[in-house]
Parts: sequence; C-alpha cells; structure tokens
Amino acid sequence: MKTLLIKCAVSLGLMLSLYALNVQTVMAHGEKALEPFIRMRTIQWYDVKWDKQQFNVNDEVSVSGKFHVAEDWPISVPKPEATFLNISTPGPVLIRTERYLNGKPFMNSVALQPGGDYDFKIVLKGRLPGRYHIHPFFNLKDAGQVMGPGVWLEIAGTAADFSNEIKTINGELIDMESYGLSNGIFWHLFWGALATAWLLWWLRRPLFIPRYKMLQAGLEDELVTSNDRLIAKVMLVGVPVLVLAVNAMTIGDYPNTIPLQASLDRILPLPAQVNAGVVDVETLKAEYRIPERMMTFTLKINNRSENPVQIGEFMSANVHFLNKDLQASYQGDAGTMTAPEGLSLENPAPIQPGEQRTMTITSSDALWESEKLDGLIRDADSRIGGLLFLYDTVVGERYISSISAAVIPKFN
Amino acid sequence: MSVNISKPSFQPYTGEKARISRAFDYLILVLALFLFIGSFHLHFALTVGDWDFWVDWKDRQWWPLVTPLMGITFPAAVQAVLWEKFRLPFGATLCVTALLIGTWVARIFAYHLWNYFPINMVLPATMLPGALVLDVILMLSNSLTVTAIFGGAAFALLFYPSNWPIFGMFHVPVEYGNGQLTVADLFGFEYIRTGMPEYLRIIERGTLRTYGQYATPLSAFCSALLCSLMYTLWWYIGKWFATVRYLNKI
Ligand SMILES: [Cu+2]
Repeated sequence: MKTLLIKCAVSLGLMLSLYALNVQTVMAHGEKALEPFIRMRTIQWYDVKWDKQQFNVNDEVSVSGKFHVAEDWPISVPKPEATFLNISTPGPVLIRTERYLNGKPFMNSVALQPGGDYDFKIVLKGRLPGRYHIHPFFNLKDAGQVMGPGVWLEIAGTAADFSNEIKTINGELIDMESYGLSNGIFWHLFWGALATAWLLWWLRRPLFIPRYKMLQAGLEDELVTSNDRLIAKVMLVGVPVLVLAVNAMTIGDYPNTIPLQASLDRILPLPAQVNAGVVDVETLKAEYRIPERMMTFTLKINNRSENPVQIGEFMSANVHFLNKDLQASYQGDAGTMTAPEGLSLENPAPIQPGEQRTMTITSSDALWESEKLDGLIRDADSRIGGLLFLYDTVVGERYISSISAAVIPKFN
Repeated sequence: MSVNISKPSFQPYTGEKARISRAFDYLILVLALFLFIGSFHLHFALTVGDWDFWVDWKDRQWWPLVTPLMGITFPAAVQAVLWEKFRLPFGATLCVTALLIGTWVARIFAYHLWNYFPINMVLPATMLPGALVLDVILMLSNSLTVTAIFGGAAFALLFYPSNWPIFGMFHVPVEYGNGQLTVADLFGFEYIRTGMPEYLRIIERGTLRTYGQYATPLSAFCSALLCSLMYTLWWYIGKWFATVRYLNKI
C-alpha cells in the first residue's frame, strides 16, 4: 500500500512537472539563450517596424521588416532548409492571420538561402487583452530560435468580443473558436457513458478479495455469468458496427475532406540588398577589447557609387551602434538595444567616389556585455557577423554590407 | 490417475467481512484510478505527445499508427492482472477512461485556461471503443493469444473510424494564402505556438507512402500487427509487476 501511495505521488509529481516544463517552453523568451555566433551570423534583422503598438481585441496589427541570411552561416548550425517565421507570444494572445515573405503569402515552413535577402510581413489580430512582450523570430530546424527585435504590445478591450470566422472552400462560414467543439465533446461523452456503464456493470459486485478467493477455489464459472457473456457478445458485435456506421455517416456529411497539408514553401530571395555591389566592404580584422567592451574592425572599403558615402551604423544581433556624427543614419525607434554614440570612426571624412580606403571603426558599448555577445570569444566558433550601413547623404541612398571576421580577444 | 480429494469451496462473505472487503475494493479502485490517470497519461504524453495534443498533427499515417500502439500498453498490463487474478474484464476500459480523464483535465487547465488555446484545437482522440472490444474479447476467449491477435488488431483498426466522427470535420479544405489548407492546418497557422514550428509536424513522412491515397488503411493494418506484439509484451510486463502477496495473507 505504501509503495502504491509513493507511486501515485511520484507519477502525480512527474505529471505536474511535465506541465511546468511545457509551460516554460511556451513562455521562455530565449533572446540571449543561443550562442552569440548563432544570433549574429544566421538571420540578420533590420528595418523591423510595427504599424501600431496599442490596439483593441479584434484589431489587426502588422509587423514588417527585412532580414539578410548571413553568407557566413556557422558550420555547426544546420543550413536553413526548413525554417518557420514565428512570433514569440505567451500563448495565442494574438492570432496570425496573414504572413508574407517577399510579398508572397506562405502558410508552411520555408527554405532560406544563405546570402539571400528577404522582406517579411506578419498580420496579427488581437485576441486577449493585456500587455505583452513580443518578437518576430525564426525557428531554425535543429538550431533554435533566432529572435528579431522585441516590442511591448498593449491590447485593450474584452476577450469575449474576439471572433474568428473563416470561410471554408464550400463557402460555409465557421467560427474557429468553437468549430467542432460540441461535436467532439458529444462523442467523448457518448463513448464515456458506454465505458462507464461497462465499468459499473462489474464494479457493483464484490471485487478483489472475494473474486481472488473464488478463483483460487476453482469457482471460475461463477465469476462470469451467462448474462455477462450475453452483454459481451452484444458489445463485441455492436461496438464495431456502431463505430463503422458513425464513421460512414461522417464521411457522408463531409465528403470532400483533404489530408493535412505539409509542403515546404519555395520563395526565392529578393535581388541583392546587402552586398549589392556598389559599395564593397571587406573585413580585414576584428579585435575585441574586453575591459573597454569595444570591438574594433579594420575594413577595406571601395566606394564605386557616384557620391561620397559615410558609415552610419553597425548592427549585429539586433544591437545598433550608431555614428553620432551622422544624424541621418538610424531610422528605427531608439530602443534599449541602441547605442546612439556607440560607433566611432578612425577617419570620419566621407569616402569619395572611386576611393579605396582601409580604416578602422570601433563599436563600443556595455551592450556587448549585457546582450551576452562578448561570450563569442569563449565559443568554439568565434567569428562575428553583422551589417554595416553606409549612407550617401547627397541622394539619400543607403548601402548595406555584411561584416564577417574571426574575433581576436584582448584581455587587458 | 489422480483423485480430487478435497473439493475447493468458497463461501461468499457476509456481514462485517463483506463490508470490509467492499471498503477494500473501493480503496483499491480509487488508488488505481489516480495511479492510471497519472502514469498512463504521462506515458501517453511522452510517447504519443503532439499527435494527441494538436488537431493539426492528426495525420492519416502516423497518428493512427502511433496512438493505438502506445495506447495498448497499459490496458494490456492491467488486463493481465485483473483478468488472471480476479476474472475482471475491464482492464482496458478502466485504463483508457483514466487516460481520458487525465487528458481532458490537462487540455482544459494546461492548454486552454493556462495557455489560451481553444479547446477544439487540442481535442484528445478516443480509444474507448477499441478498449471495450479488447475487454470483451479477453472475457469471451479467456486466451492471451486470441486477445493479442484479434483484440490487438481490433484496438488498432477501430482507432481511425472511432475518431473520424470527431476530427473529420477539421479536414474540410479552406482556400487561404494562395493555397489549400485543412481547417486543422489553419488552427496551426493562426493560433501561435512559439515552440512548435510547422516543420516539426511529422505528416506523412517516411516509407509507408508508396500506396499514396491508401495511407490510412495501410497504417491501420501495420498498427494492428504491431499492436498484437505490443499487447503480448505488456501483458507479461503487467504479470511481472503484479503481486497478490497481500491477498494471500487474508
Ligand atoms: Cu524580448
């Protein structure tokens, strides 16, 4: 009896901890959970914007932006052959109604090409009122979740007002919040009632001790009566007949069903946005000084455009280091992940058309540490990746180049 | 030639003795119910898992293969004890009922109230018709072999038709995002699951696909064969774990 109780307690405990685990994975944010080289050298997000951050239940809200898939994809991360553009939420407090990649709607997972450029848009609809911290992010198969920039969304209104009607291919309008629910409950209750009747049929008689003793005494025939046998025979025939009949009726009610759809969407990258060939940037060296939290890059820049360009921003893992002397540069909202004076140039003079210049730039801020990007130097793969934004202030053009180099640590 | 010397006999309990023995019945039943709710539900969540959790995982190939195969385990073990020792033919029904109680509690509290999923997206499958048939086959045949072969097969074959009345309507097509989806797929797209990207679903993957449209019957027969073996295996596991040590002392 004691062992039985212990077993009960243990299994109940396991059951509860499983739920806790389940819930934790749903809630887990994981922004800094992945190794820095994965956050910096897989999906490089930029220009991510929400069209609003305060809205009501049933209102639509959309997030759009761009990302570059790093060509210097880490060797230890599986290639992005199956990825899923997702939204980190504490459960479905919003529903996703539309999703686009390069303007094309897509419902399934998608393969991305390293070096490719993409733009995306996700349309959501408020479902549960509250204040939520939300990111767009990519689930990368066998690699993890690479977060885009996060914001706080405030949904007002009442949950009871939420409605989600969908039109099926036959033109029937269905309410997703309740479709098939009462039918499902009915069948569970129906079979549940039959099972309960069968259990009660047996449970009403003396059970364990007397039956065990009778069986020991060879009185087996008294334990199962002819009535029991009759009922069992009826069930042996009746249950399968009923199952098949109800199944046939359902097929009649829904003749045009299809199997679950699980194809991989194929969407080609945009024409090159990053490394588009007008301004070339080659990373010669990267050095990280730990005490100063300072990353210094030596770059070889070749301006093949017709106007002078200036370096305005370095971005990696959603952290933005801005050149304070170039006010035109950063268009996004100044979030907590921005170092407004984080980028300084060895030679601030614009790079003239046709000029080839080798120079160092320095991005320094406590964000290297607080975002746990400095852990890079202790990883097996200590290459850095990011995007460098250069501006042509004459015609207001922006050029983006990717940065990639092995990082050399300076410990003091 | 052996002669039956002492004819075994048993007088039904009366009075106080009957009352105590009945109290013992209830005690065991309540404990067993909670034990099965906990342990079978845990076993099921860890093995069948997402196939039973989500409406957009219930495909026609893996779902009807995996669910009965993992679902026949505890029923076989409990039947071995309840039938062999007590001639009680409700082991499978008791287990599956306990499983469903645990599952429904989890779906309502953990999935719906705690994580906001609509319940129709996380409806559990039922194995009760198969369990009832498994119980009556054991009772009528009083044979492990017959129950393993015919009961195991019935348990697997009845699974899909028992559940199609619940889930068939979720396979109605919807035109969405320049393609066709089932209502079930649309649930997966709309109701955001952070830790469950679409590509994790195991939908008609693997080598069973040669016969295309006949995926379900093929899976069901494959499952029937495996269920017969699984049934036998777990029958012996049940027998091995069971003890009547305490009863012998009474
Ligand atoms: Cu966040």
